[in-house]
Amino acid sequence: MKALYKNFFRKKDNSNPVLQALGNIPIFENLTDSELNDVARLTHERTYKLDEHVFKKLAPAEGMYVIMNGAVKINDPDSGTTFASLESGDFFGELALLDEEPRSASAVATQPSTLIGFFRTDLLTLMKRSPELGNKILLNLSRVLGERLRRTNQELAKIN
Amino acid sequence: MDSVQKIYRLLLLIIIGGLAWNILPFLASIIGMLIFAFLFTTIFLQGVDRLERYTKSRGLGVFLILTSVISIGVVFFGSFVSNLGSQIKLFTQKLQKEDFALSLENLSGKIRDSLPDFLGNMIPEGDKMIVIAKNSLVNVFQSILTLIGSAGGFLFIAVMVLIFTIILLIEYHDFKRSLVRFIPNKYLEVGLRMIYNIEQQISKYLRGQILAASSVAVLSVIGLFILNQLGANITLIVFIGIIAGLANLIPMVGPFIGMIPAILIALMNNIGNDAALTHQLFGAVPSPFYILDIVLMFIIVQQIDNNFITPVLVGESVGLHPMAVMIVLLIGGTLIGPLGMLFAIPAAGVLKVVISEIVFVTKNSHLL
Repeated sequence: MKALYKNFFRKKDNSNPVLQALGNIPIFENLTDSELNDVARLTHERTYKLDEHVFKKLAPAEGMYVIMNGAVKINDPDSGTTFASLESGDFFGELALLDEEPRSASAVATQPSTLIGFFRTDLLTLMKRSPELGNKILLNLSRVLGERLRRTNQELAKIN
Repeated sequence: MDSVQKIYRLLLLIIIGGLAWNILPFLASIIGMLIFAFLFTTIFLQGVDRLERYTKSRGLGVFLILTSVISIGVVFFGSFVSNLGSQIKLFTQKLQKEDFALSLENLSGKIRDSLPDFLGNMIPEGDKMIVIAKNSLVNVFQSILTLIGSAGGFLFIAVMVLIFTIILLIEYHDFKRSLVRFIPNKYLEVGLRMIYNIEQQISKYLRGQILAASSVAVLSVIGLFILNQLGANITLIVFIGIIAGLANLIPMVGPFIGMIPAILIALMNNIGNDAALTHQLFGAVPSPFYILDIVLMFIIVQQIDNNFITPVLVGESVGLHPMAVMIVLLIGGTLIGPLGMLFAIPAAGVLKVVISEIVFVTKNSHLL
């Protein structure tokens, strides 16, 4: 009986690291388990060696990355400025989900890293297959970008 | 990469190329089946993706779409065969009647009289015409028998293509993910863009072609219906329309293939009918058995398709220069025949995407 109970009423399997990593970022917030599963089925898990470029400045941009483990540095190779040092659970490149402009900075793995790639073509496929889910992601994405714009405005106000 | 490594890679490439060249003939039929399955997948993929939204099960979506398509196909083919059978039966009965021989004799004589001598001599006499007609009928039956004989092989291929299509439709997105896994990190985003562009190119072209073929079929049926109102006595117009639409998928040659069944059926139905024999197009141009009317009708349908329908539906989907289209068609036709002509343009479209991405990668290698 106990075994039966365990079998039917066991907790959902949250041990999948891809699901965990995706569930923790604001772009995939408020998604049900099955929706998150649908997204995870479209993503691409990639491994990067130390100092390997994830993408270079001005390269064609196709999508965003979530760091599952490892670390990535976002920098401008021309000026040598480092904009951000990102770790497990962080994400970058999300603007490429919306427009086709080239990358504005480079991303380099500062540790051997495993990243999850979610690309514009995946988002388009998702919007076709499940518009409700696609809209949820787009709304979350707009929230993230809006928040970022608000913060930039505040920074500008401080400077002025 | 040092030079020794380069030489090894080159050798490996040559060995793999040589092996592939030798194995290819054995794999050709499987590759052909996979290409067909991939094309069907591209046609139905969007429908399956949409159905999945409502059914919440991809398998059920695939089942519903393929079952309805196969049912429509079977009903169409079945009724076409039975209708064609009764048409041929009627024609055979006509051939056996005495008065039919007489009317053929008359027809031969009339045509000879109306033509200049040097052309008239080329028209066979009545009894010879009966022999020719009987022989051609025997040939038709023989071809049908050969077709039935090869139906076993065709059935096997059709079942295999169906199985491949079902698997591809259900697992399409997972297959794509597995394919992406092989792309090196450096080329990941360019590779994804290339796959997406190829998918778009093929699906746009196929959907455009299918819509254009459907509209040609509808226009042909309307045209044949109008000709019937003028007394052309053409039966099986829906089937002729659908055949014309399907033939239209083969660019340039297709439209002419579409006319043939209409002309043959007009001939079969109207032999012995004096009014049809002396019919004149617009009351001025002699058009025995409405042949010129049929040709003119198909030319009009073709013009409507070429100038209004295809540009809107297919548009610049492939973006090839007309000259390039002709060359590509010739190459496809020479290599594989009619099937080659059918696949030549989408294949060239895919090649164009691949080449443009390779050019992009070569020019911007410093960015990757």
